[in-house]
Formats: sequence, C-alpha cells, structure tokens
Amino acid sequence: MKNAWKYVFAFGFALSIIIPSLVLAQDSIKVGIILPTTGEKAKFGEIEKKSFEMALEEINAAGGANGKKIEFVFEDDTGRPDVARAAAEKLITKDKVVMLGGGYGSSETFAIAGVAQQSRIPFLVSTGSDNKITEMKWDYVFRLNQPVGDYPKALESYLSEVVKPQTAAILYENTNFGSSQSKVFLETCKRLNVKVVMSEGYQSGGVDFKPLLVKIKQANPDLVYMISYLMDASLLMNQSMELKVTPKLFVGGGAGFTLPEFAQNAGKAANSVFSATLWYQTLPYPGAQEYYDKFVKRYNMDTEYHGAEGYASAYVIADTLKRTKALTTEDVRESLSKTDMMTVFGPVKFVSYEKMSNQNQLPTYLVQWIDGKLELVWPKDTATKPCVYPIDWEKAWK
Amino acid sequence: MEMFIQMLVAGILIGGVYALIGLGMTLIMGVMRIINLAHGQLMMVAMYITFALFQFFDLDPYFALLVAMPCLFLLGVVIQKYFLNPLLKIDSVIPQNQILMTVGIGIVLTETIRFIFRSDYKSVKTSYSTATFMIGNISWNVPMFVAFGLAVLLTTGLFFFLLKTDTGRSVRATAQNKDAAMILGINAEWITQLTYGLGAAMAAAGGTLLLPIYYLFPDVGGQFTLKAFVITVLGGMGSTVGAIMGGLVLGVAETLGATYISMDLKDAFGMVIFVLVLVFMPGGLKTLTKV
Amino acid sequence: MKSKYAIIAAIALLVLFPLMVGSDYYRHIFIIALMWVVIGSSWNLLAGYTGQISFGHAIFFGVGAYTAGICTTQLGISAWWGMLLGGPVAMVFGFLMGSICFRLRGSYFNLATLAIAEILRLVAKSWTSFTEGMMGILTIQTFRSKVPYYFLALGLAGLCVFTIYKIMKSKWGFYFVAIREDQDAAEALGISSFRYKTYSLLVSSFFTGLAGAFYMNYMGFIDPDVVFSLYYISIMAILVAILGGAGLIWGPPVGAFIMVLLQELFRSAFFGMAPKWVSNAHAMAFGILVIVVIRYMANGIVGDWPKIHGLWAREKVIPSATSGN
Repeated sequence: MKNAWKYVFAFGFALSIIIPSLVLAQDSIKVGIILPTTGEKAKFGEIEKKSFEMALEEINAAGGANGKKIEFVFEDDTGRPDVARAAAEKLITKDKVVMLGGGYGSSETFAIAGVAQQSRIPFLVSTGSDNKITEMKWDYVFRLNQPVGDYPKALESYLSEVVKPQTAAILYENTNFGSSQSKVFLETCKRLNVKVVMSEGYQSGGVDFKPLLVKIKQANPDLVYMISYLMDASLLMNQSMELKVTPKLFVGGGAGFTLPEFAQNAGKAANSVFSATLWYQTLPYPGAQEYYDKFVKRYNMDTEYHGAEGYASAYVIADTLKRTKALTTEDVRESLSKTDMMTVFGPVKFVSYEKMSNQNQLPTYLVQWIDGKLELVWPKDTATKPCVYPIDWEKAWK
Repeated sequence: MEMFIQMLVAGILIGGVYALIGLGMTLIMGVMRIINLAHGQLMMVAMYITFALFQFFDLDPYFALLVAMPCLFLLGVVIQKYFLNPLLKIDSVIPQNQILMTVGIGIVLTETIRFIFRSDYKSVKTSYSTATFMIGNISWNVPMFVAFGLAVLLTTGLFFFLLKTDTGRSVRATAQNKDAAMILGINAEWITQLTYGLGAAMAAAGGTLLLPIYYLFPDVGGQFTLKAFVITVLGGMGSTVGAIMGGLVLGVAETLGATYISMDLKDAFGMVIFVLVLVFMPGGLKTLTKV
Repeated sequence: MKSKYAIIAAIALLVLFPLMVGSDYYRHIFIIALMWVVIGSSWNLLAGYTGQISFGHAIFFGVGAYTAGICTTQLGISAWWGMLLGGPVAMVFGFLMGSICFRLRGSYFNLATLAIAEILRLVAKSWTSFTEGMMGILTIQTFRSKVPYYFLALGLAGLCVFTIYKIMKSKWGFYFVAIREDQDAAEALGISSFRYKTYSLLVSSFFTGLAGAFYMNYMGFIDPDVVFSLYYISIMAILVAILGGAGLIWGPPVGAFIMVLLQELFRSAFFGMAPKWVSNAHAMAFGILVIVVIRYMANGIVGDWPKIHGLWAREKVIPSATSGN
C-alpha cells in the first residue's frame, strides 16, 4: 500500500512535466531576448532590458506588427555561456520564439549564435562584439552593433591627426572582450607605426594592479590603452593616480570607461580619460536624444551605448516582423536580411565587409571625461566639447 | 631596483590585509578542523554592514569596524551553535559534512545580501581612499598601511589572548584534544562557538579595512576564502603569527610574481605555493618557529 | 532495499523517455542529469567508498572537456576523438594528483585537490595559445537532434554505474572500504593504501573525464570558468553524491536527478507556473537545500530513505545499527 504512493508521486511528477508543454499558444508574436540580468554584467543587462521594454511598449502601442502584439520573452544568461546556450534552447524549443535578440557578452553571444544557426532561428545580436560572431558565415546570425575590430577606428584617426604617439602600452582583462580588442588595437598600432612596449592581460576582479602599473610607469609609453569593465577600470585609474603614472593620454576601450559610475568610483582619477564608444546621445540620429531623456526620466538612471543598442534592436525586430508575411523562421530571416532603416543607434543595413557577413557597419567615436562629464570629442564635427589635450595631470588630479 | 622595492612594499601592504582574513580562518581551522568555505562570505557581510553604515549614517569605515566586528562575532556564534555543532552528533559516511554546511551557509548569506542590496557594484569613497605618502620615490598606500598596522595589532591581541587568558588557553586546549578538554571541565561547545565567532570577527576586520581600496558585490567573498586557505596552510593551522607571515609571503609572492612573470597568473601563484607547502612543509611556516 | 523491479522500471522509463517526450528542453535536462550520474558516481567511488574526499573533481571534468576541445582547435580532428582520449588523459592527471595529494589526510587532502583544480583553471585561462583562454572553444554539434546524445549519456551512465557496482563487489571494493574506515589498520593488514587509492582515483577520473568530453561534444562550448568551476562542478559533484547518499551505489544517480531537476525547476520558476521572483531565488533555494540536507539527511535520500519513508507512512522505523541515536 505504501508503494502505491510512490507511483502516484511519480505519475504526478510526470504530469507536471507534460502539461505545461501543452499550454495553448497565445496570439502574440514571441521573440526571445537573452541578457545577463544577474551576475557581474547585470548592470549593463539591466540597462538593455529596460531599453528593450521601453521600446516594446512604444511599438505595441503603435499597433505592434500589423496589428499583432509582439512579446519579448526575456531569459537571464547570468553572464555564463553555458547558461546562455541553455536559455537559447529553451526559448526555441519550449517558448517557440520566431527569432532571438540580445546577446551581451561575446562568449555568451557566440554560444547563442551557434544554437540559433543550428536551429535555423534568426538571431539579431545587439551587443556581443567579438568579430568571430559574424565571421562564421552563419546566415541566421545578424549583428546590429559594431564589432570589436571597429572600436578603435575613431581613436585611430585622432591619434594620427592630433596625438602622434611613438609608444603605447595595452592592458586588457583576460576575457573574450578584452583579448580580442587588445589584438585589434595591436593591429591599429602597427598601422600607425606605434611601438607597443607592453601588452598584458590580467584577471578581472583584482584588488591590486600595481604590478602592471609600475611596469608601465617604468616603460613610460605615450599612450596607455585599457580594456576593462567598470570596477577594474576605476581601480586602474585610481592606482595610476596613486603611483603617478602619467602617459600622454589614457584611453579606455569602451565598456567600463563610459559608464557614469566610472566617474563616481574613480573620482578625479577619471578626469581627462578618453574612451572609445559606439554611440552618444548627441549624435544626429533621429530620436537619439529623446531616447536618452525618456530613459533617464523614466528609470532615474543613466543610459549609454548598450541601452541604445537594445532600444534600436527592438525597433529592428519590430520592423522585420512587420515586413514578414508568413511567420516562419525562414521568412523572418529573409526580412531581417533586407533591413534598411534608421534607428536611434544609427542606420541599420546588413552588409559584408572584411571577413564578416550580415554585419551592420557604423562609425565609432571618441569620448573624454571633462569635469566629471562624458563629452564627445572626436570626430570633430560631431564633438560636444573640444578635447583636452595635451593633459596637465597635476591639474586633472587635483 | 626601484621597481623591485615598490613592488615589495605593495606586496607587504596587501599581505597585511590578507593576513587579517587568514587570521580568522586559521583560528577556525586550528580549533575545529573545519574548512570554513563561508569565510569569504562572512567577510562580505561585514563589508555590506560597513557600506550601509557609510551610506546611511555617514560613518567612517574605521569606526564601522567597531560595529561590524561584534555583529559578525554574533553571527559566527549563531552559525556554530545552530548549524555546525549539531552536525557533530550525526554519524555519517562522510565526515566532511561540516564543510558542506559552510558551503550552504555561504550561498544563503550571498543570496540574502543580493536580495537586499542587488548585484550592483558598490564602493565607499573616503577622503583617504587613494591617499598615499611617498618615501623617496616609493609610494605607500595609506589605507593599506593602516590595515597592515591593524593586522599586526589584532594578531598581537589574539596572540596574548590565546597565550595568557584562561579562555584563550581553553581554546588551545580544545584545539589540541576536545575530549580531554571536556574532561577537564572546559565547556567545549561554548568554546567552539566562541572560536567561530572570533574567526568571523577577524574576517569582518579584513573586509571593513579592504572596503576603501576595493569594491563590493555579493560574490566578492569567494576569492578571499581561497586566499585565506593558502595563508592558513602556509602559516600553519592555528598559529596567529603564522597567519601574519603567511599573509605577507602570499602578498609578496603574488605581487612579485605578477610583476616579473605574469599578471595573468597572479592568483595561480598562491595556489602553487599552497600545494608546495602542503607537500613539503605541511605544518606550515609555524614549524620553523616555536610559536 | 531497492527491489529489482523498481530498478528495471526506472531503466525502462529512462530508455523510453526521449521517445515519449518530444520537447528538446526536457530531453536536455535529462541528458545533463545523466551526465551528473556519471560525475557523481565517479566521485562517490573515490570519496564515498574509498574515503578520499576530493574537492577538485573539476580537474578531470575540465581535462576531459579540453581534450575533446583541443582535438578540434589544435589537432584539427573531430571532438568525438575526445571521447576516446578524454578518459585516459584524465587518468594521467588523476595519477599526478594522487601522487601529490595522497600523502595528505583529512582537510589537507580536501584543500590540496581544490587548489590543484584552481591552478588548472587559471592556467587554462591564461594559456591562450593552447586552450583559447577565455574565448573558449566552440564546436558545432554533430547531431541536430538531442536523441543520439541522450542515448550516449544514458549508455555512459549505465556503464559507469555498472562498472562501479562490479568493482565494489570485487576484492578492490573491500580494500577501498577498509581504507576508508581506517587507513592505518588497512596498511597494517597489508593493503597498500597508496596503490588502492590510486586505483580508485584512476577509475573515478576516467569516467569523469569521459563526462567532460561528452560535455564538449554535446554543449559545443567550453571555457575555463565553466568546466573547471569550483562551485558548479567540484562542489556540485559532492552534493549530488551526498544528497543521494554517499557510499551507496544508487545514491549519486538519485542525487543527480534530484539536483538537476530541482535546479531547473527553480530557475524556470516551476516551468513558468510560479511567479517570476522564484527564478531569482534559485541560488538561495540551492543554499537552503544544502543546509537542510546536511543537517537532517546526512546520509542522503537513499541512505536515509527508511527514515523519510517512515515520516510518510507514520510508522515506527527501526533505527539502523549505525545511526546516531
């Protein structure tokens, strides 16, 4: 008699697995969005998620896709590629989404792209930046944002026209993002005839960067290029200030260096630091400034290029779904590939260049922290303030 | 040469902070033979307490020390009393249940904090966070210097406590042989609770002093737990002086290794030293002295 | 006492499962659970039966995974060769680990294994030219359907459990338990503890390495933080075995399924049926589970089954001869 309970339990358990998969489909178009909403990349994931949500509200209020509501099913990849993979598979097999969006970390994005390609589900990458993601000749994978190889492009012209450095040092965090960008910058230096005196990786999350910074101080390069996320960036600048490391300029490779928290945490050590960036709210793209203002007003927090990527992606997704007649994944892919529109992030059209395909091609920019605010300084014609160069470190660090 | 000296100084200073964290661990491991995998998380809780006090009451971290340490002491006593001591009575195939219990406790602590404070990075900016003083061309970081000083102070205090006071001697007795201590009338249960509490308080000190020069997030504990192990084994389980020495050796080895070999492998150096010590000098540096 | 029929029924259910349930999502959960049966059972052999509590089983999993991965990146051959090579390569590491660590006892042994796993993780992270570092190794799965992977995992799990069962029934089994119970006494009786601990470790590392190679082939992506992870691999292995019941053949299999299912249950908020915050609480639930299990069910579900069963049936349970009270 006791054994009977065992079977009842097992049966109930089996039912609880089977029933949910029989839930009737709803009459909205489902799109899966994978972002890191917990873990160390949570801050960016949150900004992107809120941007996606804000855009979706506007899109659905304006009629969705030909009258049908669009639904974003968010999954948290926790900043780990294996979780990202599983999340993608769940969205595809269980939620039956017609396309995927999001993809923050490069490793995670890569993993998701693999799944998307294999399952023939179109995937619009909004942030993952490793060039490799669009170099695989995967026809189901498209990318809105600039690849990491393009990050230093604005910096390149700035260096060759204004600074003309002889030597450079590269510091990068030992992740996909950091390593790939460091390689790209090495190429840039080769092109500009800049001697790279030092290129070193480090584990993120460290307490003490002095071993690296002391070496840099000794090598005394003209330019120090750093690729880090937020907290490492703050510590690096703080400790550079402590050790009095004074190259001609410090340049960050985006990510941590463009967040407002960087200035908060690094304080005066953030002054005059440059950074590459992919977008800025004063750029002459329709809706860019409005997006920024709307976001700040509604969520009471700052947004930057990651948020813009999310917001623009949402609109590209909506536009694609609007142009798709039958909602099969092949048709969605077809429509996505034919995208040709303007967004707050810039124009979106998928082309092939260098070794990449299905890649949107956009310029990149240079920003600088001036008096505690992030200003666009290069190219000159889009600048909000003239750059501060040469830098008087005594003054900057007072 | 100058670079070497600067790096030596940096290594010694960070070693001081490490030593504080290791101090608590060596006490716990020495007395109870438990690998406290929640050690980093205890430190993390103290850091959040310090942060909250700074955020809401504008209390300077050095004063917050006086609040964080007792709080963690209490937390430690509670953990030992309700979660760890009961395990001693259970007979099971794997004697290492206590370690796993600390894993569970660590996770619960982390998630509770995450629930309250979210996953964002937080930091405490004080006027002296980046303050340095120069001796010649060598820069000395002030907060780390203070932490180092406090580490020495606390170690000395702990040292005398263990050597000269009755309670301290009871702790050492319980560490040597619990049953014998009980026979001699020592309330071993209370001693284990006291020890865990003290260990937690030390971890709290380490965390509070670290906060001005680092930053805070719920998962910050893990890496420090590992460092604490290395220091404990390096210095010798249960040896307070060993913890200081272990901390210094680790700090210097990491920093010099990062400078001259590879920054990328910085954390690996500690682990390698750890294994080497376990294999060749299992008693730790303590065996080199008589303390 | 598990009746033979229950075991046969369970196996039949497992074999038929992918054919009954069409959703790839649920198949994936079971595949991962089966993989953990292998890892948990392997750990159990070394720790539950032989008493060597390893905190570094990620060493073998990671080595196996990277063997398979490196086949594609450096040798240009299919990752499936990793299934052949992963086990032996992991055994080599096992032997090395044993030579370094077996002289240590208790906590020291635990920590040493933990440290070695961490060293490997950090080396894999920085030796970019060999392991691709944090960029990880990505491969394209050979099969689009999950069914072949399912049966492969099932076969692996079956082979592993059966092998361990056979070993424990043999002379080796007695030696292992003797070493666990009292290493010095065993030595005094002429059992070379080093030799038998090594045998146990070799088998344990072999299967764990295989599981790692399987993971590479199945998931198609690995990086050092994933496969050499302290919490998600090493400690998970320990929990799987303990939750199910250490030192028992069916402990790890039961533990594996429960752990994997529970984790996914929480992460997906009971497959979407519970409110969203449940998903965020999954890590907390995990921690609480650990505490509860260790505190009240230290012998695992299989080990304490009479006690648990007794709660339900509200019968007086005759306490076993070795239980605490």
